[in-house]
Amino acid sequence: MTPTLKIDKLYKYFGGLEALKDITFEINQGEIIGLIGPNGAGKTTLFNCVAGVERPSNGKILFMSDDHTVSIGGKKPEKITALGIARTFQNIRLFDNLTVLDNVKIGRHCRFKSTFFGAVVRNRFQREEERAITESGNQFLEFVGLKGRGKDIASSMPYGDQRRLEIARALATEPHLLMLDEPAAGMNPQESRNLMNLIHRIRDRGITILLIEHDMKVVMGVCERVVVINHGQWLAEGKPIEVQDNPKVIEAYLGTGAANAA
Amino acid sequence: MGNLDLQNLTRGAKLRIGILILALVLPFLPLVDNYVLHIVILIYLYMILSLGLNIVPGFNGLLDLGYVGFYGIGAYTSGLLTVHFGLSYWLIIPLAFINGAIWGILLGAPTLRLTGDYFAIVTFGFSELVVLFLTNEIWLTRGPLGLPGIEPISIDLTLFGGPKWEFVGELPYYYLAIIMVLATVFVMNRIQNSRLGRAWFAIRDDEVAAVSCGINLLRYKVIAFAISAAFGAMGGSFFAKWVTFLSPDMFKFWESFLILCMIVLGGMGNIWGVMIGAVVLVSLSEVLREILPLFGLPAEVRFLAFGLIMVLMMRYRPAGLMPIPAVAAQMKAGRVKRKKVPPTVGLKK
Repeated sequence: MTPTLKIDKLYKYFGGLEALKDITFEINQGEIIGLIGPNGAGKTTLFNCVAGVERPSNGKILFMSDDHTVSIGGKKPEKITALGIARTFQNIRLFDNLTVLDNVKIGRHCRFKSTFFGAVVRNRFQREEERAITESGNQFLEFVGLKGRGKDIASSMPYGDQRRLEIARALATEPHLLMLDEPAAGMNPQESRNLMNLIHRIRDRGITILLIEHDMKVVMGVCERVVVINHGQWLAEGKPIEVQDNPKVIEAYLGTGAANAA
Repeated sequence: MGNLDLQNLTRGAKLRIGILILALVLPFLPLVDNYVLHIVILIYLYMILSLGLNIVPGFNGLLDLGYVGFYGIGAYTSGLLTVHFGLSYWLIIPLAFINGAIWGILLGAPTLRLTGDYFAIVTFGFSELVVLFLTNEIWLTRGPLGLPGIEPISIDLTLFGGPKWEFVGELPYYYLAIIMVLATVFVMNRIQNSRLGRAWFAIRDDEVAAVSCGINLLRYKVIAFAISAAFGAMGGSFFAKWVTFLSPDMFKFWESFLILCMIVLGGMGNIWGVMIGAVVLVSLSEVLREILPLFGLPAEVRFLAFGLIMVLMMRYRPAGLMPIPAVAAQMKAGRVKRKKVPPTVGLKK
């Protein structure tokens, strides 16, 4: 079976700095994969390369979209979204001045067509489209547990709800692969548990998930496989339990000698 | 039936209908002479212009300092087509609209990759270019001599054996201007609640997040710029037929600034706020033009007053008289009150 996402010998330089060096791993359809590593390891850079925000210096990123494989390295981010990769951001990026429902409706953008003339003339096609956008937008809100909050202003919601709204917006683009950048950051244990629950439910819809997370409870709780990177290099890969006991991983997080001490 | 409908209307809708009725009967009220009508038409014209400009800074968050360039292009399109080809104004409106859009695309497509201030500088340069072109290409525009004798608008039904009405005096222009304002408001309202409008708002709030939702930034910014330019050109086409004389110095930079002031004053991004901004600044301009000479000051001093208003607005109401709902809600909550404006150094209350 072809993997949903295949990262092959990926390099990224910022000037003389090697942010990513020879990264290779695969994600299979329907998996929940954790991407972990100490601060500055290059996790977000890797995310940005896959999402098209950064152009990889070398190497390939292959994505299987609708039964055919596309090389997405260096493609524009909006194209990549249209192909079926959605993401959330480390520090929440919502459309603060818009309502909750509008945020999700904007997520629906790439699956619809009408523009200026449709908007002005408001013909039947456009009206149907608008109704479909609103309806599906509400469904996504309901899915993440924000039903009935559609009219609130996005920035007025509590932190945990903003996270969920951001996930709803990403889901609204109908992705095959959802990339979450530290979704549990700043959440209390209760909120994290809800989040883990949500991640499982998203996977049950057939969406593959790639997750950057520092909260080990969340990683252990949801990920089936974990990829560890350090200094931009692939370090280890395997089941969360295995990786947790891997001396190299402990060393990367806690420094030399820590593995023996533990 | 009529009563029932009236009861169901919200206060805002009642207010709007009231204002519309007032606007329609205004010419027949006592004390309203040609001078007043002239000023009100000017207000309507600036409403169209500021609604058009509003798309770029208000809906997309891009600073556009060259709007008057498109206004000038529209005006000269209208003037030249009338003088050389004698085209009917009803044909000129769509042509000016399209011509504005074309120039909007020609300017926007290569330059909208620039961000923030750099883009503003390019638009500023463009409007100066338009003025230079209008001044120097004498073969086409007669340069500084101006373009006189533009025939007024007429409704010509002779083709169908009907009569021909020529627009004489301010009254027909007054009603035409109302129709054009209503059409502009209608279009803006519809865009605001559409996929296109949402894409623009997304770009305004967060470009990175907008891209991650699959919005092609450049494409939507160019569309915004083109539509904005088209409305500017439409306003210009009306202006040419209304004053029947054009000269390049009518389209100097300060016009752009004035329109921008209306938007900032009224509330960027809010259709009704922007229109209020146009009312306030045009009337103020006229009042000051009368009052200032009484104090022995030249009428040009009124631009200083506009500058002062801008400073005061930035200090006390940075979101404008009528901000967009979200900002208004935040201001009410008192959370972002003056958040974006650091206190002036060395000035204590």
